[in-house]
Amino acid sequence: MSALIRLDKVGVTYPVHGHASKVVLSELDLQIERGEFVAVCGQTGCGKSTMLRLILGAERPTEGRVLIEGEELPRPDRHRGYVPQKYSLFPDKTVIDNITFGPEMEEFSIFGRLTPKFFRRRAELRETAHGLMKQMGLDAPDAHKYPDQLSGGMQQRVAIAQALVMRPKILLMDEAFSALDPATRSGMQRLLRTLWAESGTTILFVTHNLNEAIYLGTRVVVLGPGQGIVSDFRVPSDCRAESGYPRREELERMVRMVEEAGEPQLAGSLS
Amino acid sequence: MLWRIDARPGRVSTFTLSWFLFAAGIAMYFYASNKRHIENPDDKVIPSLQQLREGMSNAFLLPDSEEAAPEEFANASIATKFFTSMLWTDTLASAKRFVWAMLLLVPAVILGLHMGMFPVVGQLFLRFILFFDKIVALSVLPILFIAFGIDELSKIMLIVIGVTPTIILDTFNLTKGVPQEQLVKGFTLGAHDFGVTYRIVMKQIMPRVLNSIRLNLKAVMLFLFAGEMIASQDGLAFRIALLRRHMGMNVIIPYVLWVALLLFLVDFGMRIANRRLHPWFREA
Repeated sequence: MSALIRLDKVGVTYPVHGHASKVVLSELDLQIERGEFVAVCGQTGCGKSTMLRLILGAERPTEGRVLIEGEELPRPDRHRGYVPQKYSLFPDKTVIDNITFGPEMEEFSIFGRLTPKFFRRRAELRETAHGLMKQMGLDAPDAHKYPDQLSGGMQQRVAIAQALVMRPKILLMDEAFSALDPATRSGMQRLLRTLWAESGTTILFVTHNLNEAIYLGTRVVVLGPGQGIVSDFRVPSDCRAESGYPRREELERMVRMVEEAGEPQLAGSLS
Repeated sequence: MLWRIDARPGRVSTFTLSWFLFAAGIAMYFYASNKRHIENPDDKVIPSLQQLREGMSNAFLLPDSEEAAPEEFANASIATKFFTSMLWTDTLASAKRFVWAMLLLVPAVILGLHMGMFPVVGQLFLRFILFFDKIVALSVLPILFIAFGIDELSKIMLIVIGVTPTIILDTFNLTKGVPQEQLVKGFTLGAHDFGVTYRIVMKQIMPRVLNSIRLNLKAVMLFLFAGEMIASQDGLAFRIALLRRHMGMNVIIPYVLWVALLLFLVDFGMRIANRRLHPWFREA
């Protein structure tokens, strides 16, 4: 059986001023299996968000192939959920409408929305959305608030609910918790791990924070600027303490791996 | 400390400051009018209050002077008189053209939206619209009169040529300004091209598009008036142009104020509608 996601000698080059060009990714090979929680980590400009956009289908590689279940998919679709750092919700829709937007869009055409069936189904979808909101720790009165009336953490909870309601095969998260304060961030990390364990969805989480990558991922991929993957290691579940964070000796081993991979700055943020 | 940039004028100061120029303008007008009437009691250039009252009464309560007033008209109610008056007839004629022009802005908005969303449509139209936008609308007026005659169509076309390129380009820019993440998000939630275009992007830009139309209302009126003044048999601008020949300042001034009031009401109505239709939108 083929890998869920396969990057095959992928390269991305952007044209810059004049005839110059900037190589963001080069000869990148990566395989991700179903059910993995892959945290992609690296410094700013190393191409981690570009890699996520390639998997999402929002960008095309200039070299190589990106295969999802063995197929090249040219644009984003409902099987790949997306939670960006900013603009993750539709500002013109309330929380409940943001969550039910996807299923409504998928099940009903513009004219279908005028039928009684739509209103019946809408009531069911709202019920499901309320359930998801509860799971995300959101209160019922929040359902009718607009995104700008919510805190950053609440917005990201809604964004995750919005993506998960579609039951995507892959959930792609781009620095999704970067703008949150430490306490909210830590709460969101715990929530995401629980959701991953319950849903079994494959998650690709991009972050510049190695600490977060190690806490969240079952596998950590470290990208170096212009170097591609400099380190790719697993975080076995039995190496985690009760807090969910790897035990000291395991952590030290990972720090050494990242250091040896030529990313002492990233490793330094942990030690 | 009123002149400092961090000044916080109180309620009385705010009220006084905001109405001061109105009061000063009115005072200056009557001072100049009085001075001219002392020199020439029949002066028509700056009508006195009495002359203005007469002019307003004629315009607001009497039918067009070219039509004979029926006998029973004298005993009619004020409302009946107003709704058969010269002012009302002219207002309806201008309003009809105004509504047509506003309706023609709908395709302009849709074109701008599609130009911003679909690169092929953008490439096809953008350069042309940018060029079209630079054409001074009034300079093509003779061409319009030759091509479409001097009836309604040429006047509406003048408004279309004058205002639609701005609205198309504004809508295009607003569409381009919607964050890419929102479009990607739409696709990941099962939306297709038109779903993303109409259910995500159009909904988000609509309040700003309405604001853009609102800010262009004066341009719409400007081109409407230009058309009416040059070739029309009715309408507010036609009446103003006609009265200019007779130095009818006592009617022209109330007409000008009436037009300003109507425009203010349309602007106000659009603002309220925008706020009601888009409760999520926070104006900058």
